[in-house]
Amino acid sequence: MSTYLLEVRDLTCRFGGLVALDRVSFGVQSGEIFGLIGPNGAGKTTLFNLISGVTPPTSGAVLWRGGAVTGLASHRLNRLGLARTFQNLRLFDGLSVLDNLLVALQRRPRSTSLAGVLASSSHRQAEQQRQALAWQLLNELGLSALAEREAGTLAYGDRRRLEMARALATGPELLLLDEPAAGLNPSEKDALCDLIAGLRQRHNLTVMIIEHHVPLLMRLCDRMAVLDFGVRIAEGTPEQVQRDPRVIEAYLGGGGAA
Amino acid sequence: MIDNGLLVQMLLGALLGVSVYLPLATGQLSLATPAFYAVGGTLAALLSTSWPALGARADGSFPLPSFVLELALGGLLAGVLALLVGRLVLRLQGIYLAIATIALVEIVRVSILNLPFTGGAVGIFGIPQPFPTAAGYLLPALALLALTGWLCQRLEVMPLGRAMAAIRDDELAAGCMGIDTTRVKLTAFVLSAVLAGSTGALAAHFLNTWNARQGSFDTSVTMLAFVILGGSRSWLGPVVGGLLLTALPELLRPVGDVRLVLFGLVILLGPVLFPQGLITPGVLERLGRLGRLGERLPRESEP
Amino acid sequence: MIQDLLQTLFNGAAIGGVYALVALGYTLVFSVLGVINFALGALFSLGGYLTYLLMGGTISANGGLPGWGLPIALPFPLALLLAAALTGLASLVVEQLAFAPLRRRQAEPLLYLITSLGAGLVLVNLLQMLMGAEGYAFPTSALANLPEAVVIAGARIRSVQVLLLAVCAAAVIALTFWLERSRNGRALKAVAEDPTTARLLGINSNAMLRLAFLLSGALAGLGGGLIGVSISLPGPYVGISYGLKGLAVLVLGGLGSVPGAIAGGLLMGLAEALVPSAVSGWRDALAFAILFAVLLLRPTGLLGRRVVEKV
Repeated sequence: MSTYLLEVRDLTCRFGGLVALDRVSFGVQSGEIFGLIGPNGAGKTTLFNLISGVTPPTSGAVLWRGGAVTGLASHRLNRLGLARTFQNLRLFDGLSVLDNLLVALQRRPRSTSLAGVLASSSHRQAEQQRQALAWQLLNELGLSALAEREAGTLAYGDRRRLEMARALATGPELLLLDEPAAGLNPSEKDALCDLIAGLRQRHNLTVMIIEHHVPLLMRLCDRMAVLDFGVRIAEGTPEQVQRDPRVIEAYLGGGGAA
Repeated sequence: MIDNGLLVQMLLGALLGVSVYLPLATGQLSLATPAFYAVGGTLAALLSTSWPALGARADGSFPLPSFVLELALGGLLAGVLALLVGRLVLRLQGIYLAIATIALVEIVRVSILNLPFTGGAVGIFGIPQPFPTAAGYLLPALALLALTGWLCQRLEVMPLGRAMAAIRDDELAAGCMGIDTTRVKLTAFVLSAVLAGSTGALAAHFLNTWNARQGSFDTSVTMLAFVILGGSRSWLGPVVGGLLLTALPELLRPVGDVRLVLFGLVILLGPVLFPQGLITPGVLERLGRLGRLGERLPRESEP
Repeated sequence: MIQDLLQTLFNGAAIGGVYALVALGYTLVFSVLGVINFALGALFSLGGYLTYLLMGGTISANGGLPGWGLPIALPFPLALLLAAALTGLASLVVEQLAFAPLRRRQAEPLLYLITSLGAGLVLVNLLQMLMGAEGYAFPTSALANLPEAVVIAGARIRSVQVLLLAVCAAAVIALTFWLERSRNGRALKAVAEDPTTARLLGINSNAMLRLAFLLSGALAGLGGGLIGVSISLPGPYVGISYGLKGLAVLVLGGLGSVPGAIAGGLLMGLAEALVPSAVSGWRDALAFAILFAVLLLRPTGLLGRRVVEKV
């Protein structure tokens, strides 16, 4: 019955005595850009961790196209079509930029280890296809000049884009972006907005974004949800959320808008 | 000074170094290599002395095909054991994994010591020889090392090898990028075991006797030293480390009893003087490799 | 029957006490530095030999200086304490040689394993050069004042086992008390829990680190002396064996947990003691099999803290 691509129902996450998420429910529709906002410590990244299989929930359900995927391992979720970036950037620092993408591309197409060991033609063909895809993404995200550079040596802005490129390389339907604008200046934030909108279009994506910078999300998102102390306090279009008195109160203490 | 016997020992050291390196290349500190080495060696010792069908002759010689078969079986048995134990053990992290693998080494050692058919403290002796002299063993040892090197080199340009490097850098992120990290780690663990098992089978024949002391805790940490001092970023590191550190105590023999103290000093000072080991990423670059991973195939679309 | 069991349990607890000492030695350094000191086993051996020499023992025929001995012969308690203190100092030397250079370069934890192994190898082989590879039995006059055995609840227990257990218990209690109550002890704990805050509070973490090494070495040395007097010193590698068991106990109890090290030590000692003599050869494997089993059920040991990775 669910028309949602991704849905969470009564998702709860407890760490010892601390309740990080308390019966959070909402759904993300296919093709939309969905924002997730809330003050620091509201549980946004925890929610991403639950959705992407990094942390198991204490209770509740995560549904993908209506089917339960709660508790699946991260790699299984990724293979279903869910990819993510990390707030603190978790690149493969010792690998080159190109190899970071090739790692994410290893199933597009797949080749057997035996073929790889024997350097067979099927392996070479698959490698060629993977590299072609990698270069496409590098071009799209303006990273081609840095292809052979070690990821750990990149400038911050480039690392952010590599993180996004790598997630895209896995060929997802749903892309989770955790604070993609952190540390960017206003003009970079604008460019990011355009980039995400463009990516959604060119890759047929559904996107879910965590952000602190609310104006960015107001421009970009089709719908949003607001978390505060682990509870979903609002859900709707940016205009609706903006006018919601509970949201205003949650942000009154600081952080939030601009 | 470096006679054929020592050369074979050095090659064995190199092989065992690579065995320790393989799980480390996925970020797993496993010290289980001596256990699989012992398993392979014990199997070879038992088979060649107790199974007449393999053709051990009265003059102590041994047919070459049977020897090769034992290398394969030693590796196979070790691999199966690794498969059974690996899934359980690889759920552990960091130092817990290391200690659990040390525990495995000790359990295997004590088992070999106490099982009725493995010769007890004395071990199995009079293991038949496929080659009349030490020099004969050079060829199989070199062949095994060449095979290992080739395989490791292929790994670096394969998705599996890239996945291993990714897991080493960030296991969590690797999982989120679709890599079945458990499977990759287990593969590395099993490959490591197969290598150690085959090496053990070779060593059993070379050494002519085999006992429980062949696989013990201090050897596992020493083998780790091969990897760390040789360089842990590529398979060449443990090869160099294994060759050098196996040769060193022998080369120091003229110095007398103090040689082991000197050996200890080398291990003590090595990481301080060479924090990245001898085969550093810089050295690898200069060896003419365009990046650690990936054959760069001709690009159809230039940027 | 009950008497036999009591005797066995007592012996097990006594050995378990020594395991706990070694495990605590590891714990002290691990909690402050986050690494395992692989030289601890060698320090155990050192403590044993120092105790022997301080009691007036002489070097055997195949040692480096046959027949040589110290010009003093201290009573056992004094020799033991002095040996422990000296081993503590030796531990400081190990810290300077094997750990400090790496800390200056902020080296990765794996490297400490190798350098401490190297330090341990150097020490064990120096001991072997000096003392020879043969076993040493302590002078029987060591415990001249004590009766051969005492009777507890009808069971005949060797006095030396009682001594072993008593000393271990005293050391453990003293250490725990010191960690909880004394200024330096609490400072050490603070550095272990949260080095940054500790520094902000003015605690000199370098001094605390050295204190940890000193105590750690002293505990290992104490263990060596106790084993030497109650059993013997079979060779310089005796410490390696206890060091390994201590490591198993450390992980069994949970890294960084003092109660875990104590509980683990007792558990290990008792389990080993209960192995029937018919299969005594398997005793060593039992310790590690227990460890293996515990880790599979509780991947961070019995009382270890689960490290939650921040994503």
